[in-house]
Amino acid sequence: MKLLVLIENLQKHLPLLYRGVSTRSQLPVLLNILLVAKNGKFFIKSTDLEIGIEAEIPANIKKEGGTTVPARKFYDLISSLPHGKITLSLEGKTLEIVGEKTKSSLQTISMEEFPALYEEKGAEIINLTTEEFNKNITSVVFAASTDVVRPALSGVLVKKEGSNVFFVATDGYRLSLKQYQKETKGEVALLIPSRIIRELLSIKETGKIVLYVAKNSNQIICSYNEINIVGRLIEAEYPNYQKIIPTTHTTKITFNKDEVEKAVKIASVFAREAANVVKFVVQKNILRVSSSAPSVGENTVEVEVQLEGEENQIAFNARYLLDLFGSIHEEQMALEITGPLNPGVFNLPTDSSFIHLIMPIRAQG
Amino acid sequence: MEHAIDNNLTELWTKALGVVQTEISKANFITLFKKTALLSLEKNVATIAAPSSMIIDLIKKRFLVLIKTALEKQTNHPVEIIFIPKTIVTMGSFGEKAAPLFAQEPNGEPTHTSVVSPVYNYPQRLRVDYTFQTLAVSSSNQLAFVAATTVSKKPGTTYNPLFIYGPVGVGKTHLMQAIASEMHKTDPRKKIIYCTSEEFTNDVVESIRSNQTQIMKRRFRSTDLFIVDDVQFIAGKDRVQEELFHTFNILIDKNAQIVLSSDRPPHEIKKLEKRLSSRFSGGLTVDIESPDFELRCAILLIKAKKHGFDLSMETAKKIAENIDDTRLLEGALLRLITESETQGKEIGSPMIEKVVGAGSLFKKPVFRIEDIMREVCAFYDIKPTQIKGERRNASLAKARQVCMYLLKKELRLPFTEIGNILGGRDHTTIMHGVEKIERLISLEKPFDEEVREIIRSLRA
Repeated sequence: MKLLVLIENLQKHLPLLYRGVSTRSQLPVLLNILLVAKNGKFFIKSTDLEIGIEAEIPANIKKEGGTTVPARKFYDLISSLPHGKITLSLEGKTLEIVGEKTKSSLQTISMEEFPALYEEKGAEIINLTTEEFNKNITSVVFAASTDVVRPALSGVLVKKEGSNVFFVATDGYRLSLKQYQKETKGEVALLIPSRIIRELLSIKETGKIVLYVAKNSNQIICSYNEINIVGRLIEAEYPNYQKIIPTTHTTKITFNKDEVEKAVKIASVFAREAANVVKFVVQKNILRVSSSAPSVGENTVEVEVQLEGEENQIAFNARYLLDLFGSIHEEQMALEITGPLNPGVFNLPTDSSFIHLIMPIRAQG
Repeated sequence: MEHAIDNNLTELWTKALGVVQTEISKANFITLFKKTALLSLEKNVATIAAPSSMIIDLIKKRFLVLIKTALEKQTNHPVEIIFIPKTIVTMGSFGEKAAPLFAQEPNGEPTHTSVVSPVYNYPQRLRVDYTFQTLAVSSSNQLAFVAATTVSKKPGTTYNPLFIYGPVGVGKTHLMQAIASEMHKTDPRKKIIYCTSEEFTNDVVESIRSNQTQIMKRRFRSTDLFIVDDVQFIAGKDRVQEELFHTFNILIDKNAQIVLSSDRPPHEIKKLEKRLSSRFSGGLTVDIESPDFELRCAILLIKAKKHGFDLSMETAKKIAENIDDTRLLEGALLRLITESETQGKEIGSPMIEKVVGAGSLFKKPVFRIEDIMREVCAFYDIKPTQIKGERRNASLAKARQVCMYLLKKELRLPFTEIGNILGGRDHTTIMHGVEKIERLISLEKPFDEEVREIIRSLRA
């Protein structure tokens, strides 16, 4: 293998590729990344056997071939080199990295030992622009569980139904649902590991995201410009989320998101000591956000809100509230409640396509 | 989709993996084979599941032939292999409960699980199955039971502290944990601390060491129910007693319930400060006696039911006649259930005699080193001098290793000492010997029988 490549092109993709490398594998080859020049294209690939990431990098290929090098060393080395052209060439068992004024060499492991990420790309299921993707999924993905014990809840459900696409995630204590209109063909429901979605969101480029599914291997491939992220669809039955979305409510408050977010942040100072419980009490047009930790202190913040329906109160886990508020970019939000034991429903007055449920905490008094 | 795997396939795959394991490095085995399973074996085609296609690719590239041969050896006919990416759900996650959000009816009254809000977890260190419902009551522990239920209903007001004492295995811990569990059920917000006196001691020592006594004090003094198991162990530890004394006073003042247990009444605990022992006796002191025959039967029936096993009254009586201690009772029952399930037979007199009568697990006699040497030599028909000697022909080496194994397992001697006994051998030799016998026992049934036979004659 011998090729010319621009350092800046390598630097652009290495952080993402490095996230795909397993941190503590017992197999040495999995601590490496694969460099391969084939059919006039240069790819770098990484995998931790759970997901795989590959990026095509523009390069001037002199001689085809490939090898694997230690990911950490390669990443550190490339990120500290100055911009410009370098030559990567495989000499026997070492990779020579020669720049204008620098010359380095890395020990390699044969590319034969590196697993193939996928055999076939499969059929295209859906395509989205990055704006559509980011806008619709940022407010959903954080609600997915990071716990591996419940496989179903660790995924994001992507469902195509008629002219609607639904994104759903829940960890059993909260649920995010985003509906999105797009003319697509066929009906399909995929449970995508939330990790893949998070990796996709970490790419800060505009472009197009295409999801492919290979039926017989259950594999999902997310193509993002010149990047492919490969993973396995979660095969588990997703809980019936439609059933738990309340259809009525007794109290509805509309509020400025930033003000309530600030109030919850203040309250969470004390809530940290008391199981993260933040209490919402609605009286007339005032929402009192309070928390108390018996051994430390307590606080109350008042926020003006618009109340429709009965006065009411409910308590939530502060972290769930902050996760939600952090993912929303609208000014106004609404909260609908039926009582202190039923889930609180958050939505956007200006956008009926989003809904977020949080299970309340049963609090005293 | 969850996949329950046929037991025969699991067994076949385990055996095949056993072979594979010996051929490849541990790193490879763990990374690639740990989560694999044999899904089906039809018309000589074996379908194997592995978690991802990357793993499948690696297995195919390197170990396909190995797996094929291993499977063929087990099945005695040629096998073709197909892989599919799939995660096999293990038993643990089958019985998962619905998450709180999904455990309730929309707009209706939430069901019970959702009331237990996410942050109030089940108190630490408590066993979920230790409740009042699972406790067998008879005349020997009735008083203690009544006291405990009263305390759990009206914590801090009736008997404070409640001091329970009695010999081992009578259910002190069960009773105390039941109090905690009951309180947690009535009001999950209540702060409950359950610890043994040893853990209490460790906490005190650790907090002094790391200079964080305030945090420790706050933790213990803010609780609503404070349970200390086996409190007799704080005897002689002055600083710990002082800490317990202050914690005790503060908790009593704020009407928090205290429950203590010990193997003897407070005034009989030696090296316990007067002020503490008088405070311990300040509430209600109850004792639990060793379970009588009827209670032992009842315990057996309850435990059997818990394990989903239908135990007849006759069998229960037979077991209860032979064993006094409750813990041993449960151990014996578990063994019987396992035996009966693995052999597919009903529990009958012979089996009971085998498990209980032989008493292999329960009445462990103390052997002397000479006994073991003598039995092994007698069994393999060799002289004790030979076993200590240099020669290493197969039959001698085997007898020697059995000797190492028994000395380790039965007497728990250190490896070096066993080495000295057996003619000054290196401790690594002994370790190897013990491991080898362990492996043989697990792999070869006749050999297992052989070793058992020696143990039996030792006990005779």
